[in-house]
Amino acid sequence: MSAASQLNSDRSPPGCLDSLLSVRNVRKYFPIREGALQRIVGHVRAVDGVSFDIRRGETVGLVGESGCGKTTLARCVSGLTDITGGGIYFDLPHKQAILLGQLSSPNAEGGPLPGHKQELERIDTAHRIDRLEGEAGRRFRRNCQMVFQDSFASLNPRHLVFDLVSRPLRVYREATGSELTERVVELLEQVGLGRQHLYRYPHQFSGGQRQRISIARALALNPEIIVLDEPTSALDVSVQAQILNLLNELQSQRNLAFLFVTHDLSVIHHMADRVVVMYLGKVSETGDTGELFKAPHHPYTRALMEAKPDLEDESSKYEFKGLEGTVPDPARPPRGCRFHTRCEFATESCGWEIDDIVRCLEYDPAAFETLSGVERRSDFDAVLTFDDAKSANRLAEMLRSGAVPKALQDSLSKLELRDRHVSVAFEEVDEVPLTSRGPGRAAACVLDPSVIASGRNG
Amino acid sequence: MTESYKPSLQPWQSGEARESALRVRLNRFMGLIQRLVSNPTTVMGLAVIVSMIGIAIFAPWIAEPNFPDPYQMPRDWGAVRKPPGTPGHILGTTNVGGDVFYGVIWGSRKSLQLSLMVVGSTVVIGTIIGSLAGLLGGWVDEVLMRIVDVFLSIPELIFALAIAAVLGPSFTNIVFALSVVLWVKYARIMRAQVIQTKQNEYVDAARVIGDSKLNIYLRDILPNSITPVTVQATLDMGNVVLIGATLSFIGLSEAGIAEWGVLVSEGQAGIASGRWWASTFPGLMIFLWALAFNLVGDGLRDALDPRTEGR
Repeated sequence: MSAASQLNSDRSPPGCLDSLLSVRNVRKYFPIREGALQRIVGHVRAVDGVSFDIRRGETVGLVGESGCGKTTLARCVSGLTDITGGGIYFDLPHKQAILLGQLSSPNAEGGPLPGHKQELERIDTAHRIDRLEGEAGRRFRRNCQMVFQDSFASLNPRHLVFDLVSRPLRVYREATGSELTERVVELLEQVGLGRQHLYRYPHQFSGGQRQRISIARALALNPEIIVLDEPTSALDVSVQAQILNLLNELQSQRNLAFLFVTHDLSVIHHMADRVVVMYLGKVSETGDTGELFKAPHHPYTRALMEAKPDLEDESSKYEFKGLEGTVPDPARPPRGCRFHTRCEFATESCGWEIDDIVRCLEYDPAAFETLSGVERRSDFDAVLTFDDAKSANRLAEMLRSGAVPKALQDSLSKLELRDRHVSVAFEEVDEVPLTSRGPGRAAACVLDPSVIASGRNG
Repeated sequence: MTESYKPSLQPWQSGEARESALRVRLNRFMGLIQRLVSNPTTVMGLAVIVSMIGIAIFAPWIAEPNFPDPYQMPRDWGAVRKPPGTPGHILGTTNVGGDVFYGVIWGSRKSLQLSLMVVGSTVVIGTIIGSLAGLLGGWVDEVLMRIVDVFLSIPELIFALAIAAVLGPSFTNIVFALSVVLWVKYARIMRAQVIQTKQNEYVDAARVIGDSKLNIYLRDILPNSITPVTVQATLDMGNVVLIGATLSFIGLSEAGIAEWGVLVSEGQAGIASGRWWASTFPGLMIFLWALAFNLVGDGLRDALDPRTEGR
């Protein structure tokens, strides 16, 4: 059973188990093409196996740094981008969700049984958003709307507000003539605009007002879920608050579900019922907003919280530190825990690998220049060859001394210096799975939560 | 008006609504016209174009049509090689007794026909081909663009000349030859525009709503891509007449028709012996026509510039 469906059975009382949208092990790889023939040389793993559920009327916050795949995932959920693997299911009853979890579990050896295959097929055609056709497809399309980050780019500059907001109603032939106008006015009034704005162009509005127009458009079909892709990131703080309050109001009026994508933790804190923290295409931690903010179970979550200067609460228990280093290349994500390269709590069991040594070398240009080859037996075992023995010696020194992270040093299982060659090996570490940490809570970290709560390791 | 805030629906409300939407759109259009006419050279060009089109429309009243075919030059064998100012032949006659004034007037009709037919067909074909390439991408794009490359690799004039020469001398063949040659430009422009426009977030927004692909193309992509095509079409209205006249000049049109290029060609033999008028007046018309459309095209480009539009 996948972590997400475990969470389901743990948390909600019976009766409210049906999730509106179920994201199951979703992957989205973008091919990297090179050369005249556009040969595929690798894949950027923008989203790499993400699962979570969104239930009716709840807000799920999706948070992470730039480039962690949160916007890609949002586009997948709203059906704008095809997914490479996994599945996104709309309105999946709880029973079928459990069944799906069992059937597609990796433990089921030798692939699903023929009967199961049929069952899977039935679930897919009835609920999987990229397999829905006809009436079911329209039902999903109507019920899942989206608000984009850039309010200017997401409104056709040649259309009047009336055209923009009435378009969904016209597409589904919900209203015509004066009824259409009145419906549009009603929608505009719900988002704090009015009849006087009907016949204006988007460029005549401020950023906040334009975002209100986008929201009115998203509300037009009375959807069950709205994907909000950083709806307030381009707005200044006072306008941001207005838009967030508007969204909260609309949610309580209409029992809307939100998938709220943002990099801003204070916004998430204000808006979300549950939070999904993403790092490099994977979920690093998920849980109820209150609990997650009280005690993060993943060092990345803690680092994000520390990176947020908190004006409201000066006695915040985390000092403002921020994250060091850059996000690794998502085409070659780090082994073990993907965050170990930047993690201040990292231990020897976090998945240190040859690439980490190469990364350390990059900080020493003189040594990096003389690196002539890396002969890998695996990601954890390789021989590094240098132009001269001096540089090889220098690397060995580096690895023995404190010039590299202590955890990396500790996890080295072999370090041999032979002339110009340094052969190194690490303990092989599997990918750190997302494991359940109590009701509604999961994190992908090898450490005990108390270590993360108490502060810097060692 | 406070009544309009009543929740009950009145039939006049939608009427009023349509009216004000129309007014806003009209205002936007008037803004464009205003920007156009604020440029004096554009106004000059427009004035020339309007008078040329006026001449073309009212040709039968300005110069009495020749019978049976008004596009054939009338022959007055009694008045050959008369200079301008001769009674009855205000701009003189050619060495076969053709009235230069008649040729200038009726030639504007031929030019208007040529430009409208060539630009009309090339814009339609180019826009469709370019849109298909830009929208579908992949191998469709690849195949279409390689075909376009083949067309573009041959110089316009020589290509048109070759086609017209193979098909034989006639005005229709010139129209055909120019259309075959010129559509590629629009295909290229349109493809680039569509690829750029389709990446806009408002296209994604329309997809999320669930609008059909055709609707998204017609409402979002096409209107936001067409501007450079409009400008190019205006410029080509002038260029087509230039190239057409060139083809006529070297004899690829029917001899003896009232067409400016043909007239220049037929008159050029007399220039050496001092009979300048037979070539000069039609030549001047070609020049004015091309200049006027180029001026307006430039003005249109400035007026439609997104950096100045609508803010």
